[in-house]
Amino acid sequence: MQIQYQTQRLSLRFFMLMLVLFVVQVIYGMILAAQQVDPTLLQGWLNFNVARAEHLNLGIMWIVCGFIGAIVFVAPLLAKRELVAPWLIKFLFYAVIGIVVWNFFTQFLAERGIAGWWLGQPWLQQGLEYLEAGRIAGLLILVGFLILAFVVLRTFPRVREWNEVHWGLGLGVGALAVVWVFGLFYVARLDLQEYFRWFVVHYWVEGVWEVIHISLIGYFLVLMFKADVKSVGFAVFWGIALVWLSGLIGNAHHYFWIGTPEFWQFWGSLFSALEPLPLVFCFWHIYLDAHTNKRPLENAPAFYFLLGSTVLELVGAGILGFVMTFALTNVWSHGTWVTAGHAHLALFGTFGMLGIAAAYYATPILRKVPQFDPRLGKLGFWLVFIGVLGMAFAFAIGGTVQVYVYRILGLDWFGGDVNRAMGTYKVMLPLFGLVLSTGAGVLAYDLFTLGRRMRPQAAVDAETTPHPATGWRRPLTGFEAGIWLLLMWLFGTIITLGLLSFNLPHVRVAGDPTLPYVLAGVGYPGLLLVTLLFVWRFIASLEARASAPAISPLLRVLPAQG
Amino acid sequence: MSCGSGDSSCEKPRRRSALLLLGVMALIFIALSVFSFLPSRGQATPDAVSFGPYQANDGKRVFQAYNCMGCHTMVGNGAYLGPDLTEVYRHAGPAWLAAFLPSAGGWPTEAAVRAQLLDPNQHADTGTDTIDAYLQKYPGAAARIQRRGGGTTLMPNLPLSKDEIGQLIAYLKYTSAMNTEGWPPKVEAGTLDRRLQLAHGPIALAQVVPAAAAATTPVASDPAAWGAQLVKDYGCVACHASDDKKLVGPGWGGLYESSVSLADGGKVSADDAYLAESIRQPNAKIVAGYPPGVMPAYDTLLKNDEVDAIVAYLHTLEKQ
Repeated sequence: MQIQYQTQRLSLRFFMLMLVLFVVQVIYGMILAAQQVDPTLLQGWLNFNVARAEHLNLGIMWIVCGFIGAIVFVAPLLAKRELVAPWLIKFLFYAVIGIVVWNFFTQFLAERGIAGWWLGQPWLQQGLEYLEAGRIAGLLILVGFLILAFVVLRTFPRVREWNEVHWGLGLGVGALAVVWVFGLFYVARLDLQEYFRWFVVHYWVEGVWEVIHISLIGYFLVLMFKADVKSVGFAVFWGIALVWLSGLIGNAHHYFWIGTPEFWQFWGSLFSALEPLPLVFCFWHIYLDAHTNKRPLENAPAFYFLLGSTVLELVGAGILGFVMTFALTNVWSHGTWVTAGHAHLALFGTFGMLGIAAAYYATPILRKVPQFDPRLGKLGFWLVFIGVLGMAFAFAIGGTVQVYVYRILGLDWFGGDVNRAMGTYKVMLPLFGLVLSTGAGVLAYDLFTLGRRMRPQAAVDAETTPHPATGWRRPLTGFEAGIWLLLMWLFGTIITLGLLSFNLPHVRVAGDPTLPYVLAGVGYPGLLLVTLLFVWRFIASLEARASAPAISPLLRVLPAQG
Repeated sequence: MSCGSGDSSCEKPRRRSALLLLGVMALIFIALSVFSFLPSRGQATPDAVSFGPYQANDGKRVFQAYNCMGCHTMVGNGAYLGPDLTEVYRHAGPAWLAAFLPSAGGWPTEAAVRAQLLDPNQHADTGTDTIDAYLQKYPGAAARIQRRGGGTTLMPNLPLSKDEIGQLIAYLKYTSAMNTEGWPPKVEAGTLDRRLQLAHGPIALAQVVPAAAAATTPVASDPAAWGAQLVKDYGCVACHASDDKKLVGPGWGGLYESSVSLADGGKVSADDAYLAESIRQPNAKIVAGYPPGVMPAYDTLLKNDEVDAIVAYLHTLEKQ
């Protein structure tokens, strides 16, 4: 396969920038994990709040780079012509680097308490979670989004000719800029400030990124499996419709305790409980589309990450979001590590993995090495996948202990009481972080040098016969996929009950944590293990196609994978 | 899963009805939002809250400028390294906060909080003039002093000025006054002792709660040793190192009889009179490079022989 339009080449630089930012973000994550264990580490040099601001902002920036790369790659294909004004995309690339470097340094001003107040606005940095960037960087980012939206919308054909993927990406790039505007003014009231902060954070993730994600996943399935654009379009339409219909009022789950009235608890609990619907839908669709043909995987790492992205979207964003979406469970999970487990799986899993999938899809094509060695990419996938699942486990169980000690027992000395109780899980965090970091290093190395390394000897043929007893490699049926899905939700229900059980007088008044601990101890490991096994099973069934007898050797683009 | 047989006609009306439904939901959302911020809700607002001359509005800017949310949560949002700050004013009160914030690396002692109570702003805000009444009113301060007083925290010292500290207290007063619909949930698990036991078990408890208020015996015969005890009791060491390093205020190592540059450009020799004056009236002579007003005046708190004992202790500290 080769590219059809020259301007698709512009995507490669964004993927490479994405990998650089990803590696730096992971390094900051490791620093934060170590500081969770010993908060005095690097104190005075790199305080936790600055390291965390870098970690969050770099995370957002590399995910956005992945989006830009993927959109620049697919937009000419969707438009059936070259991008208009490619110089703007080239300019955007350097602008992104400039903004990242500028914001990286201005964040350190928080250690001196310098926000750069002028005309009532903080121009250098503003100390709001996820929106730490000051007004200068914020306005430049807005310009960047406008450039992207302009190029994409001008490149696309007339609206009358749009299919659902056009609609998804068109709405996505437009809304990316519109929603960002809500973070560009200073609000004096705390409740109103938080109200608008979630406009950006929630509507970005739930409204805009999700829409771009659904559209891109759909289109990559078309590219990889030659799936029917109409049937993918059907999924994209319902995905977007359900995301927006549930997510618009679903934002109310952020308005339970920030000083806004009680009625939000009703609306938030009701609508955001519907938010996993589109994710289940998307999950189901990747199963169907991946099974529309029986050809072997042409680009294994790209599909691994696409699958990881969809599954973690369901598990991390969908199920782990669902468990804490009700006012009666959220009252306990709010402001604890429980939410961080959800956030890492949802953000890195859903959006990060999509960017890496796009990079793995596009890079071999752009570098003209379709027969690249996929082994490092597969290894990298398993490392980051296991790493992020392990981190989510540490966050979730550590968070459950935190809820008990901090909220039920009301002991608010982190150094003396809370950290002490969470100790084991605080240590697990950097351990699994190391697994993820290793994977990130492997991925970055593999993608940087892809096509520049010596080709290895032909790998040994993968084992393709189903295991006699378990049938591990036999094709995955819809029935079996449904059973896996049910198992995930079963453990999700157990986790929900665990959070609910904190309301029982036996726990809350008598102070006995056994029930929530047991339910969390069953629910989280169960959910994460089922997730791991399911992805393993799904991939095994697809890999077994590599030498399935029905496939003519001429169609086998890749050597069999080991 | 496909949509009809090849033509997209079945999708268009759905797009329209989906948009219509979305519009209805947006209207609901907007209506709820408007109701949330009507004055009739009676929610506290920062322009109505102040602490002495300091406005909560200014405090919010300080809170953002130092990115406090990067370690702490506020109304539950932020990072989870340190405690939630929404109700810290209500629990610990303004004097404890005033003693803590300039030297966040150390936990204030009772005497350090008492020193803050001399501030007329504190007096006006708390309505109490004795430490006992204060600790009665803010049991969170009493518990913090008893369990941690004089120890080190896990928080870094921040270069907060006197005004910034007052503004932050005003802001935390505002957040404490907010109606957050019952969050954080009320603790119903009994007394502090019982809860500590539940958290750590009966055996480990002894290590968690240090022997409260180790009996301080004034050693009049050895002024330097007494002084060393006094600087601990009064929490001076939260800001002043025994070597020449800067924690918050100047380090004490080798200070005695050295030449000190002052903020007004003058120079002064650190003799007994200068040291005693700097304890009693710290703002009379400000050392170059340090902001004024951060250290409370110990004029009425310390007796003459106590000041002498501290000065005698300072004599013994060598530059390292």
